[in-house]
Amino acid sequence: MSSKHPALTWAAVVVGVLLIVVAVVYWIEPASSLPSFFPGHEAGSGHHHVKHGIAAFFVGVALLVYAWFQTGGDKKTEPSAS
Amino acid sequence: MILAETVITYAQAIILGLLQGVTELFPISSLGHSVILPQLFGWDIHQNDDYFITFLVATHLATAIVLFLFFWKDWMRIFAGMGRSLRDRGIAEDDTDAKLGWLLVAGTIPAGILGLLLEHSLRSVFASARSASFFLILNGLLLFGAEALRRRAPQTADDDDTRIARQVGFPQAFFVGAAQAIALIPGFSRSGATMAGGLLVGLSHKDAARFAFLLATPIIGAAALLKLPELIGAQGDGIRGQALVASLCSALTAWLAVKFLMKYFETRTLIPFAIWCVAFGLFCSIYFAVT
Repeated sequence: MSSKHPALTWAAVVVGVLLIVVAVVYWIEPASSLPSFFPGHEAGSGHHHVKHGIAAFFVGVALLVYAWFQTGGDKKTEPSAS
Repeated sequence: MILAETVITYAQAIILGLLQGVTELFPISSLGHSVILPQLFGWDIHQNDDYFITFLVATHLATAIVLFLFFWKDWMRIFAGMGRSLRDRGIAEDDTDAKLGWLLVAGTIPAGILGLLLEHSLRSVFASARSASFFLILNGLLLFGAEALRRRAPQTADDDDTRIARQVGFPQAFFVGAAQAIALIPGFSRSGATMAGGLLVGLSHKDAARFAFLLATPIIGAAALLKLPELIGAQGDGIRGQALVASLCSALTAWLAVKFLMKYFETRTLIPFAIWCVAFGLFCSIYFAVT
């Protein structure tokens, strides 16, 4: 992977994929079945935290897009630059 | 279960719809006015009840659709630009459509996350006419402050989107987008916060308004779409007719409002809206305190 900030790019990929997995967990598991360290975990609750899942999904996708731009050519301005 | 038709009449729905379309885009807080006016008129509407939130969702969706249609050509250019940048794995220096598109993404993410996580708690804590009146005053002061602190926008011959893309960086877009979250508190205005943020990063009034409206479209639309199943489901029983009428009214006034504001901000400032917020907020605060 050629990148201007390889460590940051790899971190974005790993965290991005993790967040998408987290999003799927939020969508398919009720609050009671979420791992206890997940925000929204609540024993005995059958509620699905759909919104938490949406938030995690979009941040995950944004991180993957960031990584995608970071590994692009040098002639462009990547979104991280202001 | 509260039957919505017993507490929202069609006349009230028309008034609330007309009001929503204007106040969502004018920087004077639609939610604040939707909370204050029923109380002011003595309507027996419970702003914290699910049916009222569902009703408001329909009017918000109408506003979002109007905004999307108003800027339809811009959105098509922006989507095409974003597609080009993904294909090329970077944003070309002169591709202002792509830059603007990713600026909007950078601004929408913080607002979306804060909205998803805080919307219920903030709204339930502050959804009283008294607190909305107080926050309306603060919204007015925020607009005054933005005018006082704004940076002078550079004069260039570029088109609107080019000026925005050149003037706004990704950290600034993130900051302006996050400022939208303040509108979760009834009384603070989403468009007011984003226009104020735009002025502070050096946009002209017209460009700040344009950026605010583009930024508002996905967030209002997504919030409304998320709640739409409730309107279609049992929670919408007895309220769909009123919601439809209110949505049509809201769409009409939203179209007129955005058309007016894009012209208005070519030459004018946020000051009249700031005066309205402070004056109306003060009046309502005193009225609610003595009645």
